[in-house]
Amino acid sequence: MKEIKTVTILGANGSMGSGSAAILAGFGGMKVYMLARTLEKAKEGITKAVKSIRSDVIIEQMIPGTYESDLEVAIENSDWVFELLAEDYAVKESMLQKINKYKKPGTVVSTVSSGLSISRLAANLDEDGQKNYFGTHFFNPPYKLVLCELVAHPGSDSVLFKEFGGFLETKLRRVVVYTEDKPAFAGNRVGFQLMNEVAQYAKQYADKGGIALMDEILSGYTGRAMGPLATVNFVGLDVHKAIVDNLYETTNDFAHETFKMPEYFEELINAGSLGLKSKVGLYKIEKNADGSKTKFVYNIETREYDICPKFNILFIQEAKAKIGDGDYQGALDIIKNAEGFEAELCRYFLAKYISYSLSLVGEVVETKEMIDMAMGFGFNWVPASALVDLLGGVAAAKEFLKAATVEIPDLLEEAPLDQKFYQINDILDARSLFRSK
Amino acid sequence: MNKNIYILGGEQTDFQRNWAKEGKSFVAMLREVVDDSLAKVDIDYAELNTLNKANDVAAFIGNFAGELYNKQGHFSAFFTEINEAFYGMPCGRYEAACASGSIALEAAINKILSNEIGLALVVGVESMKTVSPSVGGDFLGTAAYYDKEAKGLDFPFPKLFGKLADVALARYKIDETRFMDALAEISTINYANAKRNPKAQTRNWFMNKEHASKRGGEFNMDVGGRICITDCSQVTDGSASVFLASEEYAESYAKKRGISLADIPVIKSWANRIAPLTFDKKVAESKGQPYILPWTRQAVLDAYKKANLSVDDIDLFETHDCFTSSEYVAISAFGITEPGKEHEAIEEGIIDFKGIKPINPSGGLIGVGHPVGASGVRMMLDIYKQVKGVAGDYQVENTKNALMLNLGGSATTNMVFIVGRS
Repeated sequence: MKEIKTVTILGANGSMGSGSAAILAGFGGMKVYMLARTLEKAKEGITKAVKSIRSDVIIEQMIPGTYESDLEVAIENSDWVFELLAEDYAVKESMLQKINKYKKPGTVVSTVSSGLSISRLAANLDEDGQKNYFGTHFFNPPYKLVLCELVAHPGSDSVLFKEFGGFLETKLRRVVVYTEDKPAFAGNRVGFQLMNEVAQYAKQYADKGGIALMDEILSGYTGRAMGPLATVNFVGLDVHKAIVDNLYETTNDFAHETFKMPEYFEELINAGSLGLKSKVGLYKIEKNADGSKTKFVYNIETREYDICPKFNILFIQEAKAKIGDGDYQGALDIIKNAEGFEAELCRYFLAKYISYSLSLVGEVVETKEMIDMAMGFGFNWVPASALVDLLGGVAAAKEFLKAATVEIPDLLEEAPLDQKFYQINDILDARSLFRSK
Repeated sequence: MNKNIYILGGEQTDFQRNWAKEGKSFVAMLREVVDDSLAKVDIDYAELNTLNKANDVAAFIGNFAGELYNKQGHFSAFFTEINEAFYGMPCGRYEAACASGSIALEAAINKILSNEIGLALVVGVESMKTVSPSVGGDFLGTAAYYDKEAKGLDFPFPKLFGKLADVALARYKIDETRFMDALAEISTINYANAKRNPKAQTRNWFMNKEHASKRGGEFNMDVGGRICITDCSQVTDGSASVFLASEEYAESYAKKRGISLADIPVIKSWANRIAPLTFDKKVAESKGQPYILPWTRQAVLDAYKKANLSVDDIDLFETHDCFTSSEYVAISAFGITEPGKEHEAIEEGIIDFKGIKPINPSGGLIGVGHPVGASGVRMMLDIYKQVKGVAGDYQVENTKNALMLNLGGSATTNMVFIVGRS
C-alpha cells in the first residue's frame, strides 16, 4: 500500500465528514481536501472538525472546496478518497463515476456507508479502483467512538485490505473490525436486531409501560449506556427504518421477523417525529416555565405523550445496587433468579443478544472477538462474550439461553467449558459498560 | 538494610473510566482493583484469609480527599466491604496529598521490615469526577496551605507550578522560548508515551507538539501563568495496587509457583523528605542554592545512597509530572543534568521513550492520568512492570533499575523509591 499523505473528504460538512476529517488531519497528520456543495459548507466542516478534536492546529492542513470546482484537483492529488455522502445508491454511484475518472492508480477509495452493498458501489470503478475500494464505517462521533468496520467485497485486494486495516489501527487509532460485505455489517446488524425487537415488544406490552418499560428493563444495569429505544430516538427513527428495512429485505436468518419495523414507528416517521433531531420521537423533553425539564414518552395505545413514568421493579433496583458496588457477578445472579415478566423479558433479550451476536461469526466476521469489538466500541454495549463469562461461563450461559428458549449458536455449543470466553479484556474492560443508573 | 522487600505485582484500573458516569462509587473501584490484583499475583481470598488468621498480612490504602470528593472518611474500613477475608486484618488509611500512595507504601514496607507481616496489600484510590473541575480544583487546594495559598483562587495548583516555572526561568536565566519549548516537549512526550499504555486516560486523545506549543485561546487555555491546559495532569478516577512481601513470604510464594526468587523485583531503597509547606518559603529557603527544590534533590540522593546506586545505574524514571514544570525540575533532581540545564536533556532526546534516560514511559500523570491518592502506587506498579519486563507496549528494554518520584503538594512531600533485581 502506498503511503497516505493526502485525502479527500466528500461530505465534509456533515458530522461524520467533519469528525472523520479531524481524525485524519489530527492523528494522521494528513492534508485533507474538505469538499462540500458550497464553499461556505466546506468551511463549516472545518470549524466542526476543529471543535470535535479540540485543537485548531489542524486548520492549516485543511483545504475547503466544492464538488463543482475542486473535485478533479482534489481527487488527482489524493491517496485516499473518503466518501461520506447521503446513504443513497444514486448519489454515491454518480460520485463514484466521477472519482473513477480523476483518481490516480492505487488510490484508496472508501465509503462510510452503514448498510449499502459495497460490491454494488465498487462496480462503478475500474479494475484498479475495485481492488482499492472498501467500506470504512466510522461511528459517530469519531473522536469518541473509535470503531471502524472495514468492509471488503469480492473484488477488493485482500493484502491491501489488511494493510489498510493496519494503517487505520496504528496511524488513525481506530479499533478495526474486519467484516464481509453483508447487510448492515456487524455492529448494526446485532444492534438494530435488538432495538427493533425491543420496539416490537414495546407494542406488545403497551398497557404495562410500553417504550419506557422496555428501556427500564434493558437499562444500564444490563450493560449499556442508554436504553435500546432511547438509542433509536438518539440515532433517528428514519435511520432506524432504513437499516431494519434493508435487513428485513436482504437477510433470512432466525431473527428475520424481528427486523419488521412496528407500525407505530411508521406513523411517527410520517408525522416527522424522528427523535432527538426533530425534538420529538419516542421521547420528547419539554422545558417548564421555571427552567426545569420534563421528559415525556410516546404512548403507543393513545398516540399521546405521557410524563415518563418511574418504575420501581425490585430486581432491577437490587441489580443496580450491585453494579454500583462493582459486583457484576452479583447483578447477573439477581437477573438470573428474579421472578416476574419483567425479569423474563430481561433474560430473553440478553439471551437473544448473545445468541444473535455469536450466530453471525462465520457469516459476517471471522471471529467472535470482531463482534465483541463492534458492540463494545461501536455501541458501548457489553459484548456477548463478556456476558457469557459473567453468567458463569459457557455451560451456565447455555443453560441461560435454553431457559429463555433462545437458539444456542454453534460457537457456544462447541466452546470449551474451562476457558474464559471473553478474549479482548486487554483492550476493553467490559465492566466499564455497566451503569447503575 | 539487609532485608529485601519484594514486589509480587498488582494492577491498576483503566484510568480512562469515569466512574461517576458509570454510577459507581470508589467502593466499586476498590473491589475491582483488589480482585484484579489478586488474580494478577495468583493469590486468592482463601490464601488471604489463611494469612489473616495467622496475622501475617495487612492492607494499606492511600487516599487524599475522600471526605471532600466522596463525603466519606475511614477508607481503610472499606476493605471489609469487598470480602470477608479482610475481617480482622490490620488496615490503615494514609494521606500525604498527591503522595498518599507513597506514604502508604512506606508504611507497608516498615511493617514488613518490623517482621510483623509477610504480605502487604497497598492500594491507592481517588474518585475525582464526582464534582466539577473548578470545585475539584478548590479541593486540591487543600494539598497546599489552603488559607494562604488556595482560598478563593480558581485552580490554585496550576498557579503554584506556574510560579515554579517563573522561578526556574529567573534563577537559571534560561532563554524563555527555549524553556517554554522544553515544557511543550515534556507534554508531547508524555502524551505520546501514553498512547502505548492500554490503561492511560489520554491514550485516544489528540496531541502534538504544535498543539502543546500553541498556548492560550479556546483549546489550550492559560490556567496558571505559564501553565496552560496541555501543561497539566488530568482529573482522573482511578485506583492502583501492589502486593509487597517479605523475603520469607516471597521465597515460599516463588517456590509454590515454580518461579525463581531472583525474578521477583525488589524495592532497593526509598526516601521521604518534607519541604517547607508554602511555595514562597520553599523559594526563600533555596535562594542562592543550585536546586530550587533542594528537598526533592535530597530525597533522590538519599535513595541513591541507600541503594548504593547513582543516576548512571537508573534505566528509567517515573516522575510526578503534575505539571510540565515539575517534570522539568525533576530532571536535574535525578542528576540527569545540572540544575538549569534541564532543557538540554529534553532537546537532545535523553528523556524520550527511546532516549538513554526515559522519563515516564507510562505517560506519567499528564498522559496516564492523576487520581491523586493512587498515583504513587501506580508509579510503583509501573516501575515494577518495567523491571519485571511485563510492561507490554511501553516496556523499556533491559531495565535493571528504575526510580520513581512522587510529590505531595507543591513538592512539599518528596518520596522516592528505587526498584530493581535483588
